[in-house]
Amino acid sequence: MNYQAPVKTTLLEVRDLRTQFQTASGTVKAVDGVSFTIERGERLAVVGESGSGKSAMAMSILRLLTHPGRVVGGEILLDGRDISRLSEGQLNTVRGRLVGTVFQDPMSSLDPVMRISRQMIEPIMRNLRLNRDQARAEAIKWLDKVGIPEPERRIEAYPFEMSGGMRQRVMIAMALASRPQLVIADEPTTALDVTIQAQIVEVLKTLTAEAGSAMMFITHDLGLVARFAHKVAVMYAGRIVEFGRVEDIFANPAHPYTQSLLGTIPSTTMLKSERLPQISGLPPDMRHEITGCAFKDRCAAAHDRCLAEAPRLTDRGHEHTAACWTPHGLEQALATGQQHATRLNKPFEPDGSVVVELNALRKQFATSRKMVVRAVNGVNLRVHKGETLGIVGESGCGKSTVARMLLGLERPTSGDIFIAGLAQMVFQDPAASFNPKMTIGDIVAEPLVVKSRGSKAERLDTVKRLISQVGLDPAFVERYPHQLSGGQRQRVAVARALALNPSVVVADEPTSALDVSVRAQIINLLVDLKEELGISFVFISHDLLTVRYISDRIAVMYLGEVVEYGAAEEVFADPRHPYTRALIDAVPVPDPVVESRRAATPLQGELPSPLNLPKGCAFASRCPMATDRCRAEKPALPDHDLSRQVACHYAH
Amino acid sequence: MAEYTAKKLVQMLITVLGVITLVFFTLRLIPGDAASAMAGDTLSGEALQALREQMGLDEPLVNQYLGFLRDLVTVDLGETITTRIPIAELLLRALPITLSIALATIVLSILISIPLGTLAAFMAHKGRNWLDNGLTGAAMIIDLMPSFWMALVLLLIFSLGLGWFPASGQLNWSDPWALVLRLALPVIVLSLSQVATLARITRTAVLEVLNEDYVRTARSMGWSELRVLFRHALKNAALPIATVVGLSFGNLLGGTVIVEFIFTIPGVGNLLISGINSRDYQLVQTLIVFYALLFVVINFATDLIYKTLDPRVQF
Repeated sequence: MNYQAPVKTTLLEVRDLRTQFQTASGTVKAVDGVSFTIERGERLAVVGESGSGKSAMAMSILRLLTHPGRVVGGEILLDGRDISRLSEGQLNTVRGRLVGTVFQDPMSSLDPVMRISRQMIEPIMRNLRLNRDQARAEAIKWLDKVGIPEPERRIEAYPFEMSGGMRQRVMIAMALASRPQLVIADEPTTALDVTIQAQIVEVLKTLTAEAGSAMMFITHDLGLVARFAHKVAVMYAGRIVEFGRVEDIFANPAHPYTQSLLGTIPSTTMLKSERLPQISGLPPDMRHEITGCAFKDRCAAAHDRCLAEAPRLTDRGHEHTAACWTPHGLEQALATGQQHATRLNKPFEPDGSVVVELNALRKQFATSRKMVVRAVNGVNLRVHKGETLGIVGESGCGKSTVARMLLGLERPTSGDIFIAGLAQMVFQDPAASFNPKMTIGDIVAEPLVVKSRGSKAERLDTVKRLISQVGLDPAFVERYPHQLSGGQRQRVAVARALALNPSVVVADEPTSALDVSVRAQIINLLVDLKEELGISFVFISHDLLTVRYISDRIAVMYLGEVVEYGAAEEVFADPRHPYTRALIDAVPVPDPVVESRRAATPLQGELPSPLNLPKGCAFASRCPMATDRCRAEKPALPDHDLSRQVACHYAH
Repeated sequence: MAEYTAKKLVQMLITVLGVITLVFFTLRLIPGDAASAMAGDTLSGEALQALREQMGLDEPLVNQYLGFLRDLVTVDLGETITTRIPIAELLLRALPITLSIALATIVLSILISIPLGTLAAFMAHKGRNWLDNGLTGAAMIIDLMPSFWMALVLLLIFSLGLGWFPASGQLNWSDPWALVLRLALPVIVLSLSQVATLARITRTAVLEVLNEDYVRTARSMGWSELRVLFRHALKNAALPIATVVGLSFGNLLGGTVIVEFIFTIPGVGNLLISGINSRDYQLVQTLIVFYALLFVVINFATDLIYKTLDPRVQF
């Protein structure tokens, strides 16, 4: 990525920005003295976990924060003009015109009771001084550019008539149509599937480059950063802790937080025997005054000075700055090897006993119009004892329906499910799956109570053992869910799933609601439990790198069918189904060098409606190599016992 | 939209038929029958039998029911028992008065409560809560006072005490100002509780919408606060508000009966009361069906408004 800005002129300069939230329990310094610049046409990625202040910072620039958030200090120079001093009325000539915005959740970011045309045309009329017909033509042109089919017709649609990916394209068209100098994109792809994410990122990248707009891209996904950014700002506890060009940040990270963050992501080549490096502990409570470095409690290289004095950003060469007292951050600590612990255990060896078997499993839902959705359309899968099966695929592929049937939450339309022993579940959002009025002890004990296992005292012992097994203090039994962090809650969810000694635990997106730094802790926990207890796991996720790392075998699902199955490393190293290949290609890899070499041809189109399944191969409508044979004749998955199965006529 | 309207229309007709049936059979469940209840102890056996025949009570129940339906469909509502005035005529005379009160109440309470609730929500959203708190407090006080009591208090103070509004007397349609003065107090009494409900609903609905992502999107496009408030926030908040306006109309119909009685206004409410007092089954039965019809029509209108406000509404 040899980026050279045509003429180096500063577009945005933020100086000592401070944003605070006045809450009942204290003042949260969400943004605590942030300074940076964006050159014209440059793409800056702002990285950090939730609570790091990255979104608050981005929203502060256009003063889009709502009460109790308030910008309390600093300067925001856009083209040399301090927009932080402008009145609301004056700022409204900047919003949407000089600075466009794309938000995280496309499902809720468009007005549900207004047609797209109304939401798009009026800003264009105002900003580009066009009449209604001209503005309409302009809007249609942009809808076409962002890849919306039949834009003349779709412009009259309501948001609810479009998919999430399509709505996000509309948001991008709205943001770009007024030719802004800067686009602020706040996690624009987080709510989308990996294939759609790749398409959206490509659209944003191409169109802003074409228009010469600069972009500020807020994300927690380091893979996206590598694919997308020229520069990176890493935020932690309301401050920028490291800033620099993307190559430098990834090749020579200087701050321990950046170094740890890069380490926590499983790579495409990482060995399963390697333990995933994790950042211990939690981010600081921002309601309290932080003395010294905010990262000190989680840093292996912390010393006396870090406790007393907060480090400032210092020059590390090549526009690279980092805020750390130790010259190379964790480098020394990493070298001593305490971070890269290798697992002692043997890799998985099947002893032949089957724990879960699905035979010709089908699930159909009748919709209101007497049509049938084939959510799961003939799935055969086996999980052996102590094995982890990863199921991947886009939303709507049927992976969650398989999980629900495994747990008996849904009755199969036809086919058999065999489970040796008991299946238990870990959900995506632990906050939503717990009763807020129950203590952690009650939550974990609930399955035992339901099955009337043991006396009250025995149950308490079991609960305490389970809670310490998942790495929490047994004193947690007295606490309530809201007193725990997301990672801690997910540990409790795992403890509850283990309460009845299940033979298989089904985990549906167990890490996707968690921050990157906590995600690795949960993944390590699951792997440890598998090895300690010999439990089998069914791990459902859209995070392909995690699935590869945690799973022994992978099943790739498309439109209710398994299209490829095999050992995790093999499937990743040599995907044979075109869909698997497309999925893997869509995953951004946290390495700017790899990303810059990759051809940007994301998988086209979206998952077709499961209402009218095609006669031939379900993937034929999106497959780059589909032939007439594919459209006419359905490729079958070969016999069950093969270690590698591919449902494609042309698989090598 | 046509399909939706047709579907709602069919639903409405079914509801109306259900109400008519329910009213008819409920009245037949009363011990004895309409004639004996009406006559009390005043009539002998033969005279009572004659009354029964006159009221058609000697016919089989099914025939009575069908006859009742036929009369309703052909708007042959019969006469009052005692005064022998056609019910249709009475209703036609009373209806404009009651509808004026109801309509004035709805318009007045919407005009007050929606701006008030919106302003309270807007200020609360900005962290200034005094209006919001005041509104909640005032609404609670209003809710605690029964409307008949409030009507009496206002009557005592403003009519009998200060003499600002006439407390009784004929309604004169040719003198609009006199009419306004005559109907002002009843409308104010009814509006108070409507405002209390509607302002709170508006406040909650608008405050919720102001926190929605699409409101932030609109602000990020550079639209002014007012435009965001009217174009986006109020338009979306209109959905729950319309629902509540439609439902509160039922309470309002009940309320008119009370205020018409207290302020001696010859509306449908007073007609109903006089029917009950004179045990005029035919009149009471007709008026109840009429009230139900009115309520169902209002609900139908609400459904149509709802559909135009929110394209997502299916059925």
